[in-house]
Amino acid sequence: MRGDLVIGMAGSGGDGIVSAGESLIAAAAAEGYHAVMTKSFGSQIRGGESSCRVRVATSEVLNPGGALDVAVALNWDDFLMFGAELPVSGATVVLYDAKTGVAPDKLPLVGVTPREALAVPFANLAREHAGTERAKSSVILGLIAGYFEVAREALLHGMRRKLAKKGESVVESAERAFAAGEGWAAAHPLREPMPLARPAEPVPGKLLADGNEICAAAAIFAGCRFFGGYPITPSTEIMQFLSREIWKYGGAVLQAEDEIAGIGAAVGASFAGAKAMTATSGPGMSLKSEIMGLATIAELPLVVVNVQRGGPSTGIPTKPEQADLFQAAFSAHGDAVRPVLAPTSVADTFWTTVQAFNIAERYQTPVVLLSDQEIAQRKETIEPIDTSTIAVEERRRPGEGETQDYVRFRTTASGVSPISEPGMRGGNYLASGIEHNERGAPTASGAVHARMNEKRIGKLEPLKRRRDLFRVFGNDGAPLGLVSWGSSAGVCREALAIAQGMGLRAKLLVPCLVYPVAEEMYREFFASVRAGLVVEQSHQGQLYRVLRMFLDLPKGVRSFAKSGANPFLPTEVAEHLRTAALALQREAEDAREPQE
Amino acid sequence: MSTTATAPTRATEPKEFRSDLKPIWCPGCGDFGVLQALYRALASVGRPPHEIAFVSGIGCSSRIPGYTTAYGFNSVHGRALPIAQGIKIANPDLLVIVAGGDGDGFSIGGGHLPHAVRRNLDLTYLVMDNQIYGLTKGQLSPTSPRGLQTVTSGYGSIEDPVNPLLYVLAYGAGFVAQGTPADMPGLTAVIEEALRFPGFAFVNVQSPCVTFGEEEQQLRAHKANMQSLAGLGHDPADRLRAMALASDYGRELHTGVFYRNPEPAPTYDALVRQRQADLSPGVVPRERVLDRFRQDGGR
Repeated sequence: MRGDLVIGMAGSGGDGIVSAGESLIAAAAAEGYHAVMTKSFGSQIRGGESSCRVRVATSEVLNPGGALDVAVALNWDDFLMFGAELPVSGATVVLYDAKTGVAPDKLPLVGVTPREALAVPFANLAREHAGTERAKSSVILGLIAGYFEVAREALLHGMRRKLAKKGESVVESAERAFAAGEGWAAAHPLREPMPLARPAEPVPGKLLADGNEICAAAAIFAGCRFFGGYPITPSTEIMQFLSREIWKYGGAVLQAEDEIAGIGAAVGASFAGAKAMTATSGPGMSLKSEIMGLATIAELPLVVVNVQRGGPSTGIPTKPEQADLFQAAFSAHGDAVRPVLAPTSVADTFWTTVQAFNIAERYQTPVVLLSDQEIAQRKETIEPIDTSTIAVEERRRPGEGETQDYVRFRTTASGVSPISEPGMRGGNYLASGIEHNERGAPTASGAVHARMNEKRIGKLEPLKRRRDLFRVFGNDGAPLGLVSWGSSAGVCREALAIAQGMGLRAKLLVPCLVYPVAEEMYREFFASVRAGLVVEQSHQGQLYRVLRMFLDLPKGVRSFAKSGANPFLPTEVAEHLRTAALALQREAEDAREPQE
Repeated sequence: MSTTATAPTRATEPKEFRSDLKPIWCPGCGDFGVLQALYRALASVGRPPHEIAFVSGIGCSSRIPGYTTAYGFNSVHGRALPIAQGIKIANPDLLVIVAGGDGDGFSIGGGHLPHAVRRNLDLTYLVMDNQIYGLTKGQLSPTSPRGLQTVTSGYGSIEDPVNPLLYVLAYGAGFVAQGTPADMPGLTAVIEEALRFPGFAFVNVQSPCVTFGEEEQQLRAHKANMQSLAGLGHDPADRLRAMALASDYGRELHTGVFYRNPEPAPTYDALVRQRQADLSPGVVPRERVLDRFRQDGGR
């Protein structure tokens, strides 16, 4: 029995592909499986091609997986449109609509012969048994339940619940379509059956969510009381979630007239004492740069979420990329350093978002949370989150007696000065984007400017020593090292397991804090490393280059980077690591070769 | 909150609003008059300085929050209105004032104005309109008259100015007035009325630039030319008449209240409060936010 199944599906709008995927992951989650689902669409507003991949497993899944185990193609044009996202291999079972008229040995797949291909009359089955082709998605679910023994009961239960509102006849026709799919599977067995093993008993409190929703929920948990933003793909769901929920927690959402007003209002709310956030994607981030600088110099806490997509400019709004690291770290004019955090999965987005708020509040600084389209819009099962173990911090406000002769930007050992807010008697001060002295009075003095730069930058030093913002996996003291961040990190964790399976001694460093560069953490990690890769989804390899600004990397550590919308497969990362290991081995052998 | 029980809850002396920062303005600048009028208006209103948030952008006039004892925010160019809205939504109890120049409000920040007006937060927006960029030393501004020669329009401006009064009336502001430091009692009165108005209140102040301004924009000319709207018999409840009078912007100097909505609409900040109260009858524990993702139904 297999413990892991990756299913990819594609079709036209109206085929119900994504809806089938949603039903599948919900059912898998309900039965106790671990699962992750990604969606991908063409650029049409409505209709057009759509696809999804659902990975269902009996143990934790860290990424959407590599080549498909099962491919469902309702028509070939749409399926091939998602070539990179739905890779078929020699181990894939292909189920495609018989009405495409393609023979199973003539599939339009270049350079690959799948393990088995079956022409399934999806449309006919739906029409015959349910009276409408709209029931195709139920036929698909029936087939999947039939062939792979995935979550049959939960699928039926979910289907009934989802369609209940539409009336009994709709429910019944969906059930007939499901049964038709199952029946067809029973009548046309696979050459080698591929049943998925049963999961462990479901744990109570398990969650199913996407990254944007979890980010928004984490913001509320962290005490966010104000969100200002402007709709932009792929971050909009953060504002949508908050605009439904935040009121219940005493907060407010402002859908602003533009990106600048969104972050401006958030800075204003923070000045007024509320924890505040804005969220956007690349183009919006460009527009927000100036006000982020204002938050830096006025020392106001602020969380800025950038759900990265392909760039520059409009780029590819619906696909992930990790090419905004330079922007996050360096888009401010002047000597501004702001912390940049990156979540690695949907589950991790909760903790990382809370940390973004904690850091913003503790250090009175804007913090960039660099998510990306994949994490933000993929759905994932999440182990129960024990919120009692996650501390929520508040900004340091002036205490009793501290508003006597209050000095807003007072020099302190930590560089953090107690921050007052309007309404607090005696805390009155002038916040400003212009350079100011300790009392907040505008100044053009070079001496004061240098002192204030030191305060604003120096106060962030302790962050670099926070071990919980760095995760290391694999063999201690290994000569092979991987570094990866954001959504690529999940691929690398699986690649590491594959590499270790090949007998390689390797380890992986995943920074949650990607900027400022915590030199010591990397030095410690690289101490044993002789070869390795920095894996990320950008053309230039931005983390690799940022690391080299601050560190001397071991000679054998290279960048393994791809432009956005080109997903990494765990196997290819492992293969690159193997190549690096071989080169290392050859080098070692050459060095020991007796001299002639 | 660190409040002292014995401290007064009202501030009624203009000097209580004066900070110890010395203005950088040129001697004779109209903004001094605006500042004095504001001190007086604030003293009449009586809110203590720590309950006031005073936000500005960039420009000569945007230095004004620092010359008061209120909580000030001298932000970046053109963004005072969005920042002020965030403040007011986060803490509706504050008296929130926004100030800036014509370039800040009608040029670089012009895109924010219609939205601030239509949302109708309870804010007071004071613009010190001098038809020139003074801080950068004499360039064309969005309210500069056609034909004006400046260092960036050496052959004369070939564009029409904006009409801030007409714009703001058209956007739907509930209170629109104009004043000049040439008439201090009148200016103080419209600022005070704006501060008291429940909703978005706009005061355009013709505030002369003594260094780069034209002769006909100086206080002496204002004194000679200004016409009180009350003197013209204008009824501030008449919005269409207000728009007709506002059309004279740039030709006539009308002072006083153009428009005051006799039935002020509910403010955005009041509606925010209402929604929070409706949706959150008690204190909802924050971890509850995860319940909607629970596969076992939660609760």
